[in-house]
Parts: sequence; structure tokens; C-alpha cells
Amino acid sequence: MRRIFQIDGEETECWLSHDGNELIVNTPDGAIPCQLDPTGTPGGHVLRVRGRAQELRLAVGPDATFVHLNGQTYAIGRVDPAERLAGNDGGAADDRIVAPMPGVVVSVNAKPGDQVKEGQPLLVIESMKLETSLIAPRDGVVAEIPFAAGDSFGLKATLAQLAPEED
Amino acid sequence: MNISKLLVANRGEIAARVLRTAKARGLATAVLRHASEQEGPAHRIADEVVTIEGPTPVAAYLDIPQIVEVAKRIGADAVHPGYGFLSENANFVAALEKADVTFVGPTSEVIDLMGDKVRARAFVEERGFPVAPSAIEDDDPATFVERSRAVGYPLLIKPSAGGGGKGMRVVRADSTLETEIETARREGERYFGDGRLFVERYIERPRHIEVQVMGDGQGNVVHFWERECSIQRRFQKIIEETPSPALSPQQRLDICETAAGIARAVNYRGAGTVEFIYAQAGAFYFLEMNTRLQVEHPVTEMVTGFDLVAEQLRVAAGEGLSAAQADIPQNGHSIELRICAEDATEDFRPAIGDILLLDEPEGEGVRVDSGILGGGKVTTDFDPMLSKLIVHAEDRAQAIARARQAVQNYVILGVTTNTGYLDAILTHPDFASGDVSTGFLAEQADTLTAPGEDISDLLMAAAALSDERLVSDVMQIPEMHRKMGGWRN
Repeated sequence: MRRIFQIDGEETECWLSHDGNELIVNTPDGAIPCQLDPTGTPGGHVLRVRGRAQELRLAVGPDATFVHLNGQTYAIGRVDPAERLAGNDGGAADDRIVAPMPGVVVSVNAKPGDQVKEGQPLLVIESMKLETSLIAPRDGVVAEIPFAAGDSFGLKATLAQLAPEED
Repeated sequence: MNISKLLVANRGEIAARVLRTAKARGLATAVLRHASEQEGPAHRIADEVVTIEGPTPVAAYLDIPQIVEVAKRIGADAVHPGYGFLSENANFVAALEKADVTFVGPTSEVIDLMGDKVRARAFVEERGFPVAPSAIEDDDPATFVERSRAVGYPLLIKPSAGGGGKGMRVVRADSTLETEIETARREGERYFGDGRLFVERYIERPRHIEVQVMGDGQGNVVHFWERECSIQRRFQKIIEETPSPALSPQQRLDICETAAGIARAVNYRGAGTVEFIYAQAGAFYFLEMNTRLQVEHPVTEMVTGFDLVAEQLRVAAGEGLSAAQADIPQNGHSIELRICAEDATEDFRPAIGDILLLDEPEGEGVRVDSGILGGGKVTTDFDPMLSKLIVHAEDRAQAIARARQAVQNYVILGVTTNTGYLDAILTHPDFASGDVSTGFLAEQADTLTAPGEDISDLLMAAAALSDERLVSDVMQIPEMHRKMGGWRN
């Protein structure tokens, strides 16, 4: 099987092989022979890559792997390419307004069927104690605003959807 | 009045911190817990954990009748409010007074006065202490916009009843003044149930310097020196230190004496903090007084050697202050870092997740006031602050070095935190030289969140080799095929 790892916003597909001695992490950019051994401390490992040993702490979460290395912490997103293909993509990215952070809807200023202009406020949300207006990304017709004032929503929830643009 | 059993009406790191001192003083202790809340360190320290109910966890911690009822039911003769929640709620204090339960803090009158920024400011100004140019809506609502204009740009709009940066807006151009006033009013109404506003001149490149005070309510007030809190994101502090690198010895005495004078003017009882805006030229103006223990109080404890919660409990029990002004030193340098579950590269968006691995730093001059446990969950039910890392050293340079080492060794895996960002701030040359203002983090945003050395190879290898499914797949196939694993048609 393969994985897509997300590091610093960049996605890389990767698969493992074995040369009889050690594991090899393969990416479209090349092969990395490496070895990972636990040290005994919680999450502690020694990672050997191209002969260089590096101590790190590591924990595997449901959709990301967390690594503490040289005083810095990294989250590496983990996606199964098969699941991504099976998932519903939900329309073009510029049709959707996605929650930039978890929060609460303060007011809804448009309703399905409304013709809106680029930049027009569609709803006001409150996150992290601050109000933010979410504006229409382009001219179009509102297809759906699934939340009402007072509703809370999670990160990346779709807060408003425009009808697909006609060519 | 004797205090034998203390209820801590708070949660997280501050509840744990207060409980430790209360237990050390021999008090019986109790703390609250909402049904949906994760177990935290406080629940393990307290003798008794009382479940509270509410539509949301925050609502439960704000439920005055319920908390007063809990105090009565469990026989607590005093309540410590921590910070936030009901700590500056005069109605809560009045309800406790009525129920004959001691509130560890000032009187409801003082909370009322200082909680209303407009009245507090007028009170302070009338007594000859410095305040910045301003316009108060209540003075004449009909002319508020014009009077705001007259204050001059840039200006800062604040809710009269506000705090913690909520509802505050900086206005730099006249064209946006009226819409910003409306937004601030809505935020004020929602957060504080009070849409009244005031504006004041926004001081460019200001520093935020505050002074810890403590009074016995009998006319005695001492200060515990200043704290520099200029490192803020979204008007909220994330690094605090003492002493302030900005002050000369004379300025330090001036600002600390001014704070003590303000506290004396209200015959202050308990722990409080007088906050000032400090202009680069050296002038300082009263900002507000917080009538409670502050998040950043540990840096003061590190340099003075006093336990401020113990002082609060002494005062509440009528034992008075344990020290006179001359007995309160300022030794060495202390820095506090607020460890928050947030993504500094995404505009400090709060992060959630499971704490898969927790290993907190320890050692000489390192203190961790933590509100989390390994295996816990971080949700958005509460503030994103997970814990506080406090260091103490002989001087500022050593304190910075110690803070860097400690924050680099603070291992929290499973939820994104700001430890790397805090480290980047500590490394910044302007932080090292002490030349900062409250705008520092915004001005240096790109530098502070710049990606470090590219180690994506290492990360990829670590992620792939710890991925059980990837590894078991490749280990299950015969060796000859394994060798060919990289092949594709």
C-alpha cells in the first residue's frame, strides 16, 4: 500500500520496500534507506537515515504522525490515497467557503438563491474572541448556507456554498 | 475569619496551582469539574471533585447560583476564583457574601469600580494618576463619533465592560471609524452584555507593563514589582517577564509606586494588577486594574520568592500581609511562556487533538504550571492555553537561554502547539535586546513563522517507518518481491 504524507503543506506519496537489510522509503523524488528503533523512553526512537543517527520522540495519531526532533515538533499528515479517491470532493474549491477555524456563527447575511457579488459578506463568524466577515469569493448564486446564527462549527466546515459557475 | 475548606471555582493549570498552595497551608480542598470535561491535574490534587452541570462547560463555570450552592453543600468556607470565569464578577462576590462564604479577592464594590473601565479610568484620573487621551460614549452618546475623531488617529475602540482584548479595534482612518464602532458595540454586547464603548489614543509601539499589588483591606498596600507583557498576539499575552528590560531604576520605582497608590486609593484587598501602557518615550498611562490573580503571576513569585496565592489566602483569612515593602526583593530574571494549542503559522488558529505523549521539562530554575495530562483531549470548550512554562535565572540572557532549552524539551505530541513559535520569539535579536512593543509579533510575523531547515526526508522516514500498515505490508511479502517493492508499471 501507499501513503500520502503532508509535510509543511506539501504532499508526497510514499511506499516502503526492503532490500534485505533495511527498509527503504520510496518517494517520487528518490529512495531513502532508513531504520527506526525504539529507545525505551516513551515515544523515544533512534532514526537512522543514510547512516546518520537522530534521536526523536514520536506518536502516531489517527490522521497524523507527530515528531519531536531537535527541540521542534512536527505534525505529518497521513492520508490513504485509496480513501481520498473514494471520498466525496464536494465541488470546486472556489465554490465553497470553508471555516478557517472552529467558531460560532454570529449572523447570516444571505440565503440560498441570492445573487451575490464578489466581496459581499455572506456571514459573520466569531472565532478566538474575534468577529470575521466571510465574503463571497466571486459573483454567483448562493446554493447553501448550512448554519444559522448561534450554531457552532468545526475547522474546515463548509459554511457557505455557491452554485457551480456555468461555462 | 478562619478558613478551613477552600473551593476552587476554576479549572486547568490555575486550579491546580491554587490547590497546591491551599493544601500546603493545611486546608481541605475541593474543585469543580464539568461532566464533559477531561480529567486534569487539579482533579488529582483536590481532596474533593464536585461535578457541575450546564449546557456548555463554560456556562457551568459561570453559573453563580450553582457554584454558591456547591460551596454551601460541601461546607467550603472560602472560594478562590482563579482568573477568568467569575473572578471579576461582582454579583458572584455579593452572592457569596450573602451565603456567608469568604471570597478570596477584593470587595464587590472594588470589583464593580475596576470592572467598568470608564469609571475606573475617571476614578484614577481624578486622583491625579496618568491616563491617555480618550472619549467616553456615556458622557454624551450623541457626540461620541465626533469626540472620537477629536482624540485623533490612530485610536483604539474598547468596550467599557471589556477585558482580554475582546471587542477592541484599532482605527487608523476616519473612513472606517463608524463601522468599527458598530462592530465593537456588537462584540461588547455579546461578550459582556454591554455595548457601551470608549475610545482612546492608540499609542504607537507601546509596551504593556503591569505591576503586581497586594493589599490587606486595612489600608496596607505593597507592590511586588512590575511585569513586562508586550509580547502579545491578538491583544493576548504569550510571553511575560520581570524585570522589564525597558525601565530604568527610577522609572521602575515611579510605575510601581503609581500602581500601589491606585490600589491604596480603593483600600485594596487581596491580589491585583495595575496595567499600564508605556510609550517608547517613557511616559506611562493607566490602562486598567485587574482585581484578581493574573495568568503571569508566577514570574513575580520567581523573583520575589513570595507565594502570591498564600498571600491571598492570608489576607482572606484576616491574617494580613506577610511582608512590608522593604522585604520584597526583585532577584534575578524570570520569563513565562504560555503553551497554547494553536497553529502560529495559521493565524493562531486553535488546535484540537489527543495528547498522545506528554513529557514536560524540569530542572533548576524551571517551573511548569500545567493544566494537562498525558492521554487527555484538547477541545475548543475552553481557552487554548494548556500550561505555562516559567524559568528563573540570574540575569535576562541566562533566563532566555534557560527558557529556550526548556521549551525545546517540552514534548507535547498529538496536538499542534506554539512551542516552536515561542522558541522563535526567544531567538529573535529584538527580543534578546529587549527592543519590543505590543506590535512586535505582528511586525515580525514572517520571520517568526519562517520554516526552518528542510528535514522533510527525516520526517517522511519517521512517519513511514512508524506506520504499522506500511511496515507490515512490506514485511509480509516474500523477500524477492520486497526488493522489487519500488517497481511500478
